[in-house]
Amino acid sequence: MLNYTLRRLLTVVPTLLVLIVFSFYLMRLAPGGPFTSERPLPPAVMANVLERYGLDEPLHVQLFTYIKNIVLHFDFGPSFSQKDRDVNDVIAQGFPVTLTYGFWSAVFVLACGIPLGIIAALRHNSFWDYSMTGLAIFSQIFPNFVLAPIMVLLFTLSWGLLPGGGWNGGQWEYIIMPAVALGTSYMAGVARLTRGSFLEVMSSPFIRTARAKGLPERTIIIRHALKPALLPTLTYMGPVFVYMITGSVFIDVFFSTGGIGQDFIDGAYSRDYSMLLGLTILYSLLTFTLNLLLDLAYAWIDPKVRSKL
Amino acid sequence: MSIAKKQMNAAPYAEAAAADMVTSRSFWADARGRFLKNRMAVVSVLMLVLLVLFAIFGHTIARWSYEEIDWTILGKVKTEGGPTLANGHFFGVDELGRDLYARVVQGSRTSLLVGFVAGTASVLLGSVIGASAGYFGGRFDQLVMGAYTIWISIPYIIFFVVWKAFFGRSLTQMILVIVLVNWTAGLLIVRGQVMMLKNREFVDAARMLGMSDFTIIFKHLMPNILWVIVIYTSIVIPEIIMMESLVSFLGVGIQEPNTSWGALISEGARTMTFGTLWQLAFPAAFFVVAQVSLYYIGDGLRDALDPKDR
Repeated sequence: MLNYTLRRLLTVVPTLLVLIVFSFYLMRLAPGGPFTSERPLPPAVMANVLERYGLDEPLHVQLFTYIKNIVLHFDFGPSFSQKDRDVNDVIAQGFPVTLTYGFWSAVFVLACGIPLGIIAALRHNSFWDYSMTGLAIFSQIFPNFVLAPIMVLLFTLSWGLLPGGGWNGGQWEYIIMPAVALGTSYMAGVARLTRGSFLEVMSSPFIRTARAKGLPERTIIIRHALKPALLPTLTYMGPVFVYMITGSVFIDVFFSTGGIGQDFIDGAYSRDYSMLLGLTILYSLLTFTLNLLLDLAYAWIDPKVRSKL
Repeated sequence: MSIAKKQMNAAPYAEAAAADMVTSRSFWADARGRFLKNRMAVVSVLMLVLLVLFAIFGHTIARWSYEEIDWTILGKVKTEGGPTLANGHFFGVDELGRDLYARVVQGSRTSLLVGFVAGTASVLLGSVIGASAGYFGGRFDQLVMGAYTIWISIPYIIFFVVWKAFFGRSLTQMILVIVLVNWTAGLLIVRGQVMMLKNREFVDAARMLGMSDFTIIFKHLMPNILWVIVIYTSIVIPEIIMMESLVSFLGVGIQEPNTSWGALISEGARTMTFGTLWQLAFPAAFFVVAQVSLYYIGDGLRDALDPKDR
């Protein structure tokens, strides 16, 4: 297991390198730059500015310096559009915000999705089951960018229960709506998947054996059925995390949480190379980490996978 | 000749046999029958057809064009801009005094076109790459899978931004960049299917007949996994519509005055604090109807085509 983890961690390095090189050239290839504006700077000033940020050097030299600074000093460079901050500051300020509601959103997805799926499976073809299907369809057609305005409309504008945006140091009122808006459609996906696999597991021979032994239904469900039933859900969580990370960009923009999504979009508009690149690396690292954790969780649950590691 | 044989050669029997031949059903005819029995799916297809008709012909009853500003209402949007039949703004006007009905028609056109064209194209691209990776295996497969892992971990919004800076944001360009971003659609599932099928006898037979890899992939393997591709396309199309809407919402979508459901919803969401709710309600309703229909169509297709369910 430790071996496997180390091996996986080692593959992250070349992958990240390819990613950096690719995104770097992709961004630089596009016409315009962080300092082109409608009123062009005088050539002399422009040259100075470019020199100040090292943008006058050949591309591969810039790339090398960039990577060297990250490796040696963990420095993602200065922001080109926000004069007095560098990318490290932005990440230090915004990332905890995104991570906080992202975490609660994931908790919401799993803590609501799995029990809902199990209840629907246990009460197969009952009212609960049908309302679960309804919920799954509902969330499929109300993605976060439709759900978020509707939630603000109801909870903020109509009933005045929750603040419609902002962060305020991460008080719980400010976390609820971003977390729920981000997670709802995945929560329903998890519920639907759990329901399906739970139904399948409950009709398998080893559950019949457990019943024949006279085990109480609770023990059967918790000790015997839960683990195998959760495997498909776990595989589903990989792409879900990727989507949630992308979705968080929208949530950051819509709820003005002050998370990194806003900086990402701003950086894209102002062609803030180091900001875009730094945040791209951060988002990708997050993806890799979550996927590694998922794979480890998978190995922990499934002995067949574990023996192969 | 025995009596039984005589009876078999008799005209009625031949006729019956011929009729049986005609009615013997292919996989696709079977699937069509199953799909048509699914009431929700059929209703959804009808809804979708209505939406498409609306997108194509809706502008003919509009009294305003989608970029025209109604100066008599501008500045009084909140009080007089609501939906009404009197002044020809069936869905009201948007923030800038443009007819929302005409804009919703235009937006439906964009969203549906992007969804169907880009969705189909990306799945085809992904399937061809996935099938090749699964068929050839080895180095090529490793390369494709490596590219896949890297690709899905890049936040896709960056591509829209770069593309916009490079080429602009016309409809064709939106479709192109969406296909590029989604080249991984269907890749994994088709790759898996091909890896499963490629060791079967009919592929060996084709190879022994001296067929080229190209022919084997496109003539022998692809038709066998067409059902997977069809199901996957039906899942990808709503996802693409959603993706287009999301990037429009974030402001890197299609160029004004052209619009899409996402762009309209985003405008509506921005102005809802002023009480102009219709600006959110109409585009959102169209979006939701399209998503519901596509969901049930996808569901129906899965039930009709997936051999595991039979």
